[in-house]
Amino acid sequence: MNVTVGQMHEGSRTVPSGLREPPAVELRGIVKTFGGFVALDSVDFELRRGEIHALLGENGAGKSSLMNIVAGIYTPDRGEITVSGRPTVISGPADARRLRIGMVHQHYKLVKPFSGIENIVLANPGRSYRDSMSRILSLAEEAARKIGFDVDLTRPVETLSIPEQQRIEILKTLVAGASIIILDEPTAVLTDEEGSRLFAAMRRLAEEGNSVVLVTHKLHEALEHADRITVMRAGRVVRTVLPGEVTHTELTTMIVGSNVVELPERSSRIGRAVLKVRSASRRNHDGLDVLRDLSFDVRTGEIYGLAGIGGNGQGELVEALTGLVPLSSGNVYIEGGGDVTNQPPHRMRAVGVGCIPADRHSLAMAGDLPIGDNYSIGGVLAGRFGSAFKVNRRQIRSVTRAAVKRFEVMGVRSERQKAALLSGGNAQKLVIAREFSADLRIIIAHSPSRGLDVRAAAAVHEHLRHARDNGVGVILISEDLDEILLLADRIGVMNRGRIVAEFEAPGDRHAIGKAMIGHA
Amino acid sequence: MLDTVDIPRSRARRGLIDRFNLEIREHMPLEQQLLVVIGGVVVGLAISSLLLVAAGVSLPDVYDEFVVEIFTNPRNISSVLDYASPLVVVGLSAAMAFKARFWNIGIEGQLIFGGIGATVVANYDIGPPFLRLALMAVFAILFGMAWMALPLFLKLKLQINEIISTLLMNYIAFDFLLHLLYGPWKDPASGFPNSKLYDGFEQLPMLGWQDLNLAAVFALVLVAGFAWLLGVSRFGFLLRFVHSNPRMARAMGVRIGVFTLVAALASAGLAGFGGFVISAGIAGRLTQSFFVGYGFSGILIGFLARNNPVGVVLFSLLISILMVAGQSLQVFYQIPFAMVQLMQAIIVICVAASEFFIRHRLRFVA
Repeated sequence: MNVTVGQMHEGSRTVPSGLREPPAVELRGIVKTFGGFVALDSVDFELRRGEIHALLGENGAGKSSLMNIVAGIYTPDRGEITVSGRPTVISGPADARRLRIGMVHQHYKLVKPFSGIENIVLANPGRSYRDSMSRILSLAEEAARKIGFDVDLTRPVETLSIPEQQRIEILKTLVAGASIIILDEPTAVLTDEEGSRLFAAMRRLAEEGNSVVLVTHKLHEALEHADRITVMRAGRVVRTVLPGEVTHTELTTMIVGSNVVELPERSSRIGRAVLKVRSASRRNHDGLDVLRDLSFDVRTGEIYGLAGIGGNGQGELVEALTGLVPLSSGNVYIEGGGDVTNQPPHRMRAVGVGCIPADRHSLAMAGDLPIGDNYSIGGVLAGRFGSAFKVNRRQIRSVTRAAVKRFEVMGVRSERQKAALLSGGNAQKLVIAREFSADLRIIIAHSPSRGLDVRAAAAVHEHLRHARDNGVGVILISEDLDEILLLADRIGVMNRGRIVAEFEAPGDRHAIGKAMIGHA
Repeated sequence: MLDTVDIPRSRARRGLIDRFNLEIREHMPLEQQLLVVIGGVVVGLAISSLLLVAAGVSLPDVYDEFVVEIFTNPRNISSVLDYASPLVVVGLSAAMAFKARFWNIGIEGQLIFGGIGATVVANYDIGPPFLRLALMAVFAILFGMAWMALPLFLKLKLQINEIISTLLMNYIAFDFLLHLLYGPWKDPASGFPNSKLYDGFEQLPMLGWQDLNLAAVFALVLVAGFAWLLGVSRFGFLLRFVHSNPRMARAMGVRIGVFTLVAALASAGLAGFGGFVISAGIAGRLTQSFFVGYGFSGILIGFLARNNPVGVVLFSLLISILMVAGQSLQVFYQIPFAMVQLMQAIIVICVAASEFFIRHRLRFVA
């Protein structure tokens, strides 16, 4: 079994990798099309032994498609793949596995009620269950120890935190013997601290002679942690560079083709309170107090930023404000709607509460329905687009087309295309376009730029500011303190289900951070 | 520590099967999906033919029974249409419920109660004769809905799984039917366990061609209505969201409970109407034999048609053809009825399996 040692790791630390040995993976002239859409246009890529290689680019630049080809999920239309110097065809994940290639996808492929070790065994079946369990448990524990992973393998996956689930995924590939490990946006769901622990583990893997591909759109990750960076844009490779030879700005320009710098811009017209939350409390099924005596106001024309580490009650607050799950006690008042405590979602919508949920795929989109339907459902519910007897398809088409253009949703060939075919950032733009097409008093944006590239995030921020300037009360919930500091006019810090501190913008970064991690 | 790495064999040495590569397909145009489904049906029919040949029916005879006889003999055409009409109604009933993610396995029971409702009107001569048939239909629909009330209440109020509750209601309905037919409603004229024959004006009028009756027209009207409701109306627009992603629909303000209620009642009403069509259209009375299997055929049709009204018509016709041809196979070739059911099952499995090719792509790696 080979968990950590690459085939030729003797040479990889003393000699600059790539000089004496063939690259771990080499791609030449890879072309991949979906329908008429060219996702990869003659891409070359080289991954050396013992390096962390960042693959950087915007949403839809082709990073994931390229790595899916290496992992055997897609087969290229054209092009050559060489693994350890030998030309090969990777015709499925099983082939990739034999070639010691393992990929950790953005959405984890874990069986929730099973324990971590059972999931690992499931991906690496042996002759008998009992035999595999003991054999693989020791392998997995050894691998975990070597790269400093701390995770209880016997607990059901559903009781594990997101970073712990990610560790299970990585162990799965290591136990399978992977020496080429691809991580697709691994830090999108991690806090800064968890992220740095992951990078430490990645470094150890690389030092053992493995190759790591870090698919990301976060510049600083690539600059700080990668040995080499390959930038992709619109299905092509722009350049492969060393982190030392480029600046942040140069890299940004390579990624988006132009420079994007966002500057804070405070609201000029803050009005009266449009939303009042008073002593909101909620006890969940396990008897835990997920919201505790939480009170705050949001005024018209302001962005109220809710900072905090994920899992401190943000999700539950959103559920309460959108009417999905009732509060145990406390009240919610909305100007023009009065006391709307525990009103169902359709009532909350009717009084002008819009929401950009964190989990956009399961809460904001019906993936197998057309883009046009997904865009117009809010309007149809509000009685627009035809009558109860006939939905006006033509109107939906033209309105959707206009919105797609105005909000720069890319990758839309037709309004009848399934929404699931949109990339993360573009799906988010469509959701925002829909929410802003309604008559809003309040918009709740929960991690609205998570998983989005710089330019898409800037566009989202612009839309939030625009809503604020039109007198909407904006609630921005984000784990990214930079985002909060950039946008918020006032900042509340959530910690263990309550708001522990409030700051007027510009808030003191240090003080906010302290409130986020303090014991409330 | 070092394992030998099993590099996939070079291209020249790859076997034919290895050259086919499976991929997940993200999208397939509707026309292609249709072709795949048709392919599934054709494969199913081919396997069925082989079975018949193995059972001693020669291939020309199979062709003769399934194609020539069915499509050229007017008597057979009318039998197929007669048999297909109630299938269309129950198929729509299933599709309606499935569209709201309500798994109505109780179509059989609701169908029985529809028949009971129609017979209540006929037996007790409720209403004037010229309204009798319409009243029978209305009672059938209401009785079907009534049989749904309990499972629906349990589902909406207590989140009790409707698959189990609607399924079990079938058995209660069937035993109640037997109670009626062996007890109070036993035919006084013959003493057989079926209700007394409906009066002439209590039976569906003939259309004047072969044995075809009004049921075929009802079926077509319902198909058109269903197509409008799901494809054109606001209700259908929103129902598609309930079907596709109920969490999202709810978050957007769609009242899932209302949609479930309406769709489940409509489904049960359709099933009840199916009972009326069978009792007033085919038998002219309430019998026990007519209610065996229609409900489950409806579920099958709804599933095969993927809740599409045109698909419901096509698969109803297919199953109806199998039944009619199967009957003559029974009579003329002594093929057991189980064979007909086997063929039906094979086709279902083939169509269900064809779904795989809609979700995946086989690529030939040269």
